[in-house]
Amino acid sequence: MAEYKLLTQHIDVPDFYQMQVYESLGGYLGLKKAVEMERQEVIDEIKKSGLRGRGGAGFPAWIKWNGIPKDTSKPHYVICNSDEGEPGTFKDWELMHKAPHQLVEGMIIAGYATLAKAGYIYIRGEYVECAQRVRHAIDQAYEAGYLGKNILGKGFDYDLYVHMGAGSYECGEESALMSSLMGERGQPRLKFPHAPLPTIAGVWNCPTLINNCETLSVAPHVINNGGEWYAQIGASTKNSRGTKLFSVSGHVNKPGNYEIEFGTSLMELIELAGGVSGGALKAIIPGGSSMPILPADQCQDAILGYEELMEKGTMVGSGGCMVLNEHSCIVTFAWRTAEFYAHESCGKCTPCREGTRWMVQILERILQGKGRPEDIELLLEVCDQIDGRSFCALGDAAAWPVRGMIKQFRNEFEYFIEHGKSIVADRPEWQRMAPPKHYERYNPMRYDYTYGIERALAGKG
Amino acid sequence: MDRNVELIRITERPKPPRPEEIPLRFSETAVQELDALVSHYPDKKSALLPALWLAQREYGGVLTPEAIAEVALRLERSYAEVEGVATFYTMYNKQQMGKFMLEVCTNLSCMLCGSYRLLEYLEEKLGIRLGETTPDGLFTLTEVECLNNCGDAPVMQVGDVYCRKMSVEKMDALIDQLRGSDEHSVTRLADAIVNIQLSAADKARIASEHE
Ligand SMILES: Cc1cc2nc3c(=O)[nH]c(=O)nc-3n(C[C@H](O)[C@H](O)[C@H](O)COP(=O)(O)O)c2cc1C
Ligand code: SF4
Ligand code: FES
Repeated sequence: MAEYKLLTQHIDVPDFYQMQVYESLGGYLGLKKAVEMERQEVIDEIKKSGLRGRGGAGFPAWIKWNGIPKDTSKPHYVICNSDEGEPGTFKDWELMHKAPHQLVEGMIIAGYATLAKAGYIYIRGEYVECAQRVRHAIDQAYEAGYLGKNILGKGFDYDLYVHMGAGSYECGEESALMSSLMGERGQPRLKFPHAPLPTIAGVWNCPTLINNCETLSVAPHVINNGGEWYAQIGASTKNSRGTKLFSVSGHVNKPGNYEIEFGTSLMELIELAGGVSGGALKAIIPGGSSMPILPADQCQDAILGYEELMEKGTMVGSGGCMVLNEHSCIVTFAWRTAEFYAHESCGKCTPCREGTRWMVQILERILQGKGRPEDIELLLEVCDQIDGRSFCALGDAAAWPVRGMIKQFRNEFEYFIEHGKSIVADRPEWQRMAPPKHYERYNPMRYDYTYGIERALAGKG
Repeated sequence: MDRNVELIRITERPKPPRPEEIPLRFSETAVQELDALVSHYPDKKSALLPALWLAQREYGGVLTPEAIAEVALRLERSYAEVEGVATFYTMYNKQQMGKFMLEVCTNLSCMLCGSYRLLEYLEEKLGIRLGETTPDGLFTLTEVECLNNCGDAPVMQVGDVYCRKMSVEKMDALIDQLRGSDEHSVTRLADAIVNIQLSAADKARIASEHE
């Protein structure tokens, strides 16, 4: 199987981000078709397509769409989650940069189907280059009458706004994203069943549909070609339909985004990305840093599909596929993963706020050659204490990869603790990835508001 | 860091300025931009993030206590609330940064592709350590989490642009180019973000009000 280009079919056409080019290649036909349909029919097409959320959890899209009340006693909102922050993922970046109109069209269709008043595209603050393209696309869509008042003469009013984040991975979590959109710290909120679903009371306490950028970009294709047509793609899998963008990075020859049909094998994806570089394959993390690692022998027969990867003990996640060759050090990798989660933990709940820092401290002492034999069990214990006990999924996402790495590569941890150096310490690859000797992590959180710290250090405080 | 130092740091914090006592620094355009941004949301409070971006631009790339007080005043929120939000997000600067912020991604894929070596190289080249600013105030060297362009690792961000597939040679060229440039990367980024959130109609309205 090769690539199956649906969302990325035209992205290499010059100026595809411009309205004229997008329309000349069939753009906005899905929207024109949608507004001729009943709203429920649009949702039914999404249901037939079997589309599942591409943001990480793989939740069936139509259930969210259908869950929005059918009356408008309160305004409804649509949110596009483009806060892409999962290490290893860069698919939304490409979709927004090269095909912003596809996303805008998807947002309008979603708004039409859910009777929404307005849509918000939440883009992370670093993504300036592609956010400018999205801005441009929205302006063009207003000009063409696809946004604003009385869209396509159907009496449907809908506005689209861009909201930029300011550097927080946690804001990708949907309830934290809504907090951030409402001008608060990006901390998550109580969730169902302890609070109403976002489709009933989401942002500003109004019915809210929130989907990932890729999920929404699929909508025009589903409407244009029909849900049944879409559902045939990937039909060889248990319950994954359509195509998925995988972002392949790390030790491969041709890193980049590859759109494949569900049911393609993991090794084919790696072949598409030019194969492993710099040595034999050691392991793959198929779905972004939050997902457990797959050692090389288990990669051979892995199939890309939600249930198929679940059987292997990992997940499709956001599709951020990171490839490690035989010379990479898993302990360093685990430490850097833990560092990331410790840095991004929002601090709301204790298991995650403290647990992630403990993991870093233990892994740091192993890296410094001061590891103790009981450290492995201690790490596993911390993982167990976080997993399932944290307020949002970030805590779980911090525990899974570290636990997975210990489970699959325990010998490397033991070696490091026993010898005080990496099992691959003499290989050039390790020299490339090792943190500097004097390295002390610059943590902006720690440096915040340093009123008086210089004075304190100088003894004048 | 020494715990005692941390404690001193917290107790040493000066009293925040009273919003009504500070000189306001938002330009006329900025005030209009803020009005336009507020109109995007059902309530004023929701415009807090965009307003902080505006303030970061208006105050020359740093959210000083005065900047926070001004945002609090303009959005009718308390100082503490605005400060709480400003300190949560890493892209709001609470200290004066150099003219160019060199933000090197050291997350997983970039680490595999050698970003720590680039970091070491930059430290040596600029003669500063991670988190510091060069004495001439030109460069601040920081480390960031995944910039999500891992396919082009190692990646770094300078203001509103990403520099991809970095190498020692490209780094030398970049530093030379920046030395000769009179842009201010931090305010440039804030300005770009403000402009992304304003629609063409907003911009046209603001321009017409100036005539
Ligand atoms: C810590 C954390 C970070 C997340 N980051 C993102 C993200 O960057 N982008 C995204 O689309 N979903 C992210 N999610 C998933 C969202 O919470 C949510 O499931 C998703 O936006 C729903 O859209 P979908 O149904 O289209 O997948 C994250 C979840 C968690 C727990
Ligand atoms: S698990 Fe808890 S501390 Fe961690 S990000 Fe979620 S709410 Fe915040
Ligand atoms: S790891 Fe550096 S951009 Fe993702």
